[in-house]
Amino acid sequence: MPSLFSAKRLILLLVGMIVLVVLISFTLRGRDNANPAESLIKDVVGFGQSLVAKPTHFVVERYKNVEDFLHTYEENERLKARIQDYAAVQAEVQQLQQENAELKELTEVQEDLSDYEPIRATVIARNPEQWDEKIILDRGKLHGVSANMAVMTAQGLIGKVTLVTNRTATVELVTTQNPNNRISAFVAEDETIFGLIEGYDEERRELILRRLDTNAKIEKGQKITTSGLGGIFPKGLYIGEVTEVTSDDHGLTKLAYVKPADDFLTLNQVMIAARTVPMVSGEDGTAEGEQAAEGEDSE
Amino acid sequence: MIRVLVVFVAVFLFYMEPVFGLLSPVSIGQEFYILVPRFLLIYLVFVAIYYNRKRAILFGVIFGLLYDVFFIDIIGLYTFIYPILIFTSVWVMRYIHLNVLTLSLLILLLLAGLESLLFVFNTIIGTTTLVFDEFLQLRLIPTMIANFVFVAVMGWFFKWLLVQRYEQKYHVNT
Repeated sequence: MPSLFSAKRLILLLVGMIVLVVLISFTLRGRDNANPAESLIKDVVGFGQSLVAKPTHFVVERYKNVEDFLHTYEENERLKARIQDYAAVQAEVQQLQQENAELKELTEVQEDLSDYEPIRATVIARNPEQWDEKIILDRGKLHGVSANMAVMTAQGLIGKVTLVTNRTATVELVTTQNPNNRISAFVAEDETIFGLIEGYDEERRELILRRLDTNAKIEKGQKITTSGLGGIFPKGLYIGEVTEVTSDDHGLTKLAYVKPADDFLTLNQVMIAARTVPMVSGEDGTAEGEQAAEGEDSE
Repeated sequence: MIRVLVVFVAVFLFYMEPVFGLLSPVSIGQEFYILVPRFLLIYLVFVAIYYNRKRAILFGVIFGLLYDVFFIDIIGLYTFIYPILIFTSVWVMRYIHLNVLTLSLLILLLLAGLESLLFVFNTIIGTTTLVFDEFLQLRLIPTMIANFVFVAVMGWFFKWLLVQRYEQKYHVNT
């Protein structure tokens, strides 16, 4: 050991450790925006990453095509059963859309909580460490992305943008354990049943919808969407389906487990939803937009 | 040529880790298994042992910093972990007969230790609610298997590459 820890080296090591500990504790309290040096690194690394990721997606997609092909028969049967409902539903949707537009015109409502501008993006990386679930997209400030925007796939909501640089955006998935991550949500069929998506059960792989009224008639199988009332997300993004309803720890409110729409296994194409109604800052700590440190309020 | 290749492999592995991460978690039946690729770290330990310790630690700091900034957003975590693990492996290897097999075993042991420490760290800061048994079953064992396969496949190549570089740099023929 003596040769390994000469005095000079020991001092260097100690100083290094102190600097690192300071850095860690400084950056552990999540931040809204990356500093210029960080942005630069993210953009440069992100560029290289997209060069590697895009061919990979291509290959994975081809593989999936083959897999799909093998399941064609089964799928065809299932789809045949559903297509009969489809025409009727489509007609109804069209009628409702028209009606909605007419009513909006009548009442002179211009903006709606459910309006958003979609921005398409490709996932270029997923946090390989996978402790907090993050993905990185190839769209950033230059493409109109800003922090706190909702991110979704064709299936439904998957997370929100936490950090943007010029050409990349970091997305925290809804499956992340972050006590300050809340999404105001309601039952799609009945908007009077509302609560907050708070937390994720890692074992069941399901989201937890808390603070439901005790008298709320929430049932298994109901669909949960965002309410847009948190001030950040647009209204009506599909979150998932209720799988179980119980009462919470104190028995004061109800609690429901919600199975997320997407299984988060392979994410490659996503959509960023930029809400048209201005977003609130989320500073008061009630909205899902609060940029909280993972370190705060650990249970 | 080989000189460039040594750096190139490191950069390549750095970029491959998140791509591999895109394929994880893997679902088998009802369970979802998380594989954490530690390819770069494995390579850096090989660099430290077969080529140059200082170079490896330098790589460790640089790539650790990039890793922190790009993925983790906790700056300093991997900047710290990479050099420390490289240092530890060099120190332990002084007392063990060196060959690819013992080195691979040592790396796997260190990785298991690292994952467990990160589990403790993440439990403390509240990013995970898993209990140890679940962690062992869903994370640690799949991760060890994945990295073992990686070492088994790439270990000999790393050794070959780095020994070549070593001989080229110090003009020795062993």
